[in-house]
Amino acid sequence: MSVGSVPAGYEVKDPGYPTPEENYLTNSRGLLTWVFTLDHKRIGVMYLVGVSLAFLVAGLLALGIRLHLFAPDGWLFNNEFFKWLAPDKAPNDIYNQVFTLHGAIMVFLFIIPSIPAALGNFLVPVMLGAKDVAFPRLNLSSFFLWVAGAVFFVMALLASGLDTGWTFYTPYSTTTDTSVIMATFGAFILGFSSIFTGLNFIVTINTMRPPGMTWFRMPLFLWATYSTSIIQVLATPVLGITLLLLIAERTMHIGIFDPEYNGDPVTYQHFFWFYSHPAVYIMILPAFGVISELISVHSHKRIFGYRFIAYSSIAIALLGFLVWGHHMFTAGMGPMTTIIFSALTFTVSVPSAIKVFNWLATMYKGAITLTTPMCYAIAFIFLFTIGGLTGLHLGTLATDMHLHDTYFVVAHFHYVMVGGTLVAFLGAVFHWWPKMFGRMYNELGGQISALIVFLGFNLTFLPQFVLGSRGMPRRYATYDPEFAALHEMSTWGALLLGIGLLVALVVLLASLVNGKKAPANPWGAATLEWACTSPPPFYNFERPPVVGDPYEFGDIQWDGASDRYVKVEPKRESVPSETPAESPAHAGE
Amino acid sequence: MIPAAITPLADYTESKLSFFPESASTFSSDTDWIFNFISIVALVFFIAIVIALFGFALKYKKAKGQQAESQTDHNTTIELVWSIGPSFLLIVMFYFGAQGFLAHRTIPEGSYELGVDAYKWGWGIDYGKFVIHPELHVVAGEPTKLTMTSKDVIHSLYIPAFRVKKDVVPGRFNYMWFKATQPSEKVATDEELAQLAAKDAETNASWDYDGRQFTPDGYAFYDLYCTEYCGTNHSEMQTVVVVHETREDLDAWIKKYSSRSATESPASYGEKLYQRRGCKSCHSIDGTKLVGPSWKDLAGKSRALASGESVVADENYLRESILNPKAKIAAGFQPVMPSYKGQLTDDDIYSLIEYIKSLNPDAAGPAAGEQPAEGGSEEATAEAPAE
Ligand code: HEM
Ligand SMILES: [Cu+2]
Repeated sequence: MSVGSVPAGYEVKDPGYPTPEENYLTNSRGLLTWVFTLDHKRIGVMYLVGVSLAFLVAGLLALGIRLHLFAPDGWLFNNEFFKWLAPDKAPNDIYNQVFTLHGAIMVFLFIIPSIPAALGNFLVPVMLGAKDVAFPRLNLSSFFLWVAGAVFFVMALLASGLDTGWTFYTPYSTTTDTSVIMATFGAFILGFSSIFTGLNFIVTINTMRPPGMTWFRMPLFLWATYSTSIIQVLATPVLGITLLLLIAERTMHIGIFDPEYNGDPVTYQHFFWFYSHPAVYIMILPAFGVISELISVHSHKRIFGYRFIAYSSIAIALLGFLVWGHHMFTAGMGPMTTIIFSALTFTVSVPSAIKVFNWLATMYKGAITLTTPMCYAIAFIFLFTIGGLTGLHLGTLATDMHLHDTYFVVAHFHYVMVGGTLVAFLGAVFHWWPKMFGRMYNELGGQISALIVFLGFNLTFLPQFVLGSRGMPRRYATYDPEFAALHEMSTWGALLLGIGLLVALVVLLASLVNGKKAPANPWGAATLEWACTSPPPFYNFERPPVVGDPYEFGDIQWDGASDRYVKVEPKRESVPSETPAESPAHAGE
Repeated sequence: MIPAAITPLADYTESKLSFFPESASTFSSDTDWIFNFISIVALVFFIAIVIALFGFALKYKKAKGQQAESQTDHNTTIELVWSIGPSFLLIVMFYFGAQGFLAHRTIPEGSYELGVDAYKWGWGIDYGKFVIHPELHVVAGEPTKLTMTSKDVIHSLYIPAFRVKKDVVPGRFNYMWFKATQPSEKVATDEELAQLAAKDAETNASWDYDGRQFTPDGYAFYDLYCTEYCGTNHSEMQTVVVVHETREDLDAWIKKYSSRSATESPASYGEKLYQRRGCKSCHSIDGTKLVGPSWKDLAGKSRALASGESVVADENYLRESILNPKAKIAAGFQPVMPSYKGQLTDDDIYSLIEYIKSLNPDAAGPAAGEQPAEGGSEEATAEAPAE
């Protein structure tokens, strides 16, 4: 069968383009219809704008960090220009606040909500075949809680800054004179936002699956979201309690974390990482879900090992609760405890590794199109593999003694979180952009952005592995001259990475102005969100969708005549040619 | 022979991109071995993955609309092989890692014991008998045990060349040990050192470890860093490790710092203590406001306190501020200074006070004269011989 023809005896199903009035973006107008919307798609878009702004701010701070570290004694913040910012503070203080805010904003305002809240909100109901999430009002309130949390962060910044690092370790955080309370309170509120989102998805996926949508017909993105939500609901309250205790310690000296009042500072670390380690999986699991979709769709091939990927997401979510101690190998826990934490840490690495093999097996003998989302997905696998493999050096006790709290760790988590999650997020945004806004972006521009991001990222963070194994500690405002060459490389890399991100932004925004109209299913995907028009109508589907296998590409064909993918089905007689003589069995009821 | 001063400099001019710092303890070779083992395993997997990743992307690249060659979506054998196979390698890594770690945790009997006191932002290594010095001096081939605690927030003691690190936590003692293997060379002659010291005294600079790459005693050194973020000068919270060839050598070095020599004036010894004991990280002597008040023009002047009262900064006030710093907080400052009770001899305190007084020459006379009754105690302090 040649490309572009629909065989005889088959019928083409194609929702076509929406009319201007019938999509969710245009069905009502005015700012207030957005602010008070209960439509999960609009909430998703608002989140997308919000987290992107947060990323922009934190990204500029990152550039500040890198430019400062361009020279051993500190380059940027030693500049006269920054004097007014902190008249009676040392340049080191400015640096310390900048890296703290960079980390805190990236983690709490960007990476945790990015895929689950922004993309998840948009996609979960549509992929599921539902009209909305289970609790639309809760959904809206979770967005406003996010905004409130962000406001507290900004207030902390404007008041007296924050210089504790995003981890708020005691007793430093109970004694510093910066705005710890304001910032922790912001994080506390953000915790509620995160819990609400998770709760909503769990209930939605449990109760709102349409007929035919069994658990094993759910796209893997939904499995990933589901596992993430479990963590969000179970782990976040611990963070909330920890932050409240921290505030109580600061204001009332209750004596739990601060040795001056007979507290134990290491207790804080246990509490903190009991949340924050699972939180690392809140950051990466949704990315796994995204990559599973991207690889399968753009290879036009069934995902390899569906069940394993689905179960391993749950396994990672649960095992993730048992390994928090690996952030504290040098804190002085008992030797047995330390060894057990190390062993458990290795067990989590297995399911993650296998996912990589599954993705590669999916590509094998596929029909790969190197679209922008696919380029990002390939970059993801490359970068995440480096991030994951270097985790082995850190999970191994003897080497972690040397590497803990050095730039090796900084490089490792950036490979996972930026190279992994951010790249997956970008891939996802390009992949679902046509669905969200009904416009195609410029493919070449997108591919160029993926390439620059990939190169810039590696140039930024590969040298940091070397820095760390040579002994360069993290969170240093100044450093010994022998590290200068590597720091310089890293700074050039960060500038390149910044350019790549800027290109991506321009390509996406330009598409809104002059992009081609997007067809319903630009990639030839089989999941439900591609069965409705782009952008989707207000209630997602004109009529209840027919649920099929999310990875069955056989009946999706390229139709050269209409220049798009269509779904073909054997022609069926919908109306019997003859009316049966007898009335049907149920007629009398 | 290579000119003395060049050898240590070579350390960072020649090997800008080397992967490890020098290897100078019994832990280093083990750690590096495990590191390399993991890296090789990781690299093998990485290369295979990258070849598959880019290989498939090119080989199976198809025009839009083409169907995939195969839709195979599972193969139990392969899946079991790639899940279980690598797990064995992980067990090996875990095992060697745990073994290496236990070595870090098993402190040999009879180790040479030193105390470590960490504070914002410096280190006090306690050699016993009131010799506390910021540099860590140990003996090659002899296990050294550090008993560490912090006066304020969490710090972490890290010696890259030894591959050791341990958090230093306030309110508890953490221990670590190592056996250094490579003695530090003496790379500068006494004349050179005297010249440099004189130059520093002239320009009022403190010893430039980074630039000179040897200690004021002329030894090459290993870096010691704080790796747990601890506030403003975290990145300056560094010191050096010097490994002596013999115990006698080390003892001689300790002796040199044990007390004020008969010929040295209290004020000049006080200045050394100011440098050595961490006062410098918070108090300037040129009037700049750091974490604590500057010592310039301090002695004999009236000080406003945070409580709203004010006192004259006489000897008693200064002494109290050293031993019980939270008693009278100067207005505009946080009560963050740790107490030096039990850590300075009476002669040390006397020398420090004399040094502070010397920074305000015009007030020195009247300050002493104002308090004739207290003069006695001051003399008593001065007479107390250092142990
Ligand atoms: C332009 C890209 C980025 C650059 C150049 C960059 C650079 C840096 C640098 C230099 C540090 C300080 C390391 C230290 O002193 O310990 C840092 C810390 C950190 N970054 Fe990034 N970063 C980037 C993007 C991101 C993203 C997207 C995330 C979110 C996942 C992120 C998360 C963090 C975290 C969690 C920390 C630790 C902060 C802390 O320890 O307090 N970074 N980054
Ligand atoms: Cu420190």
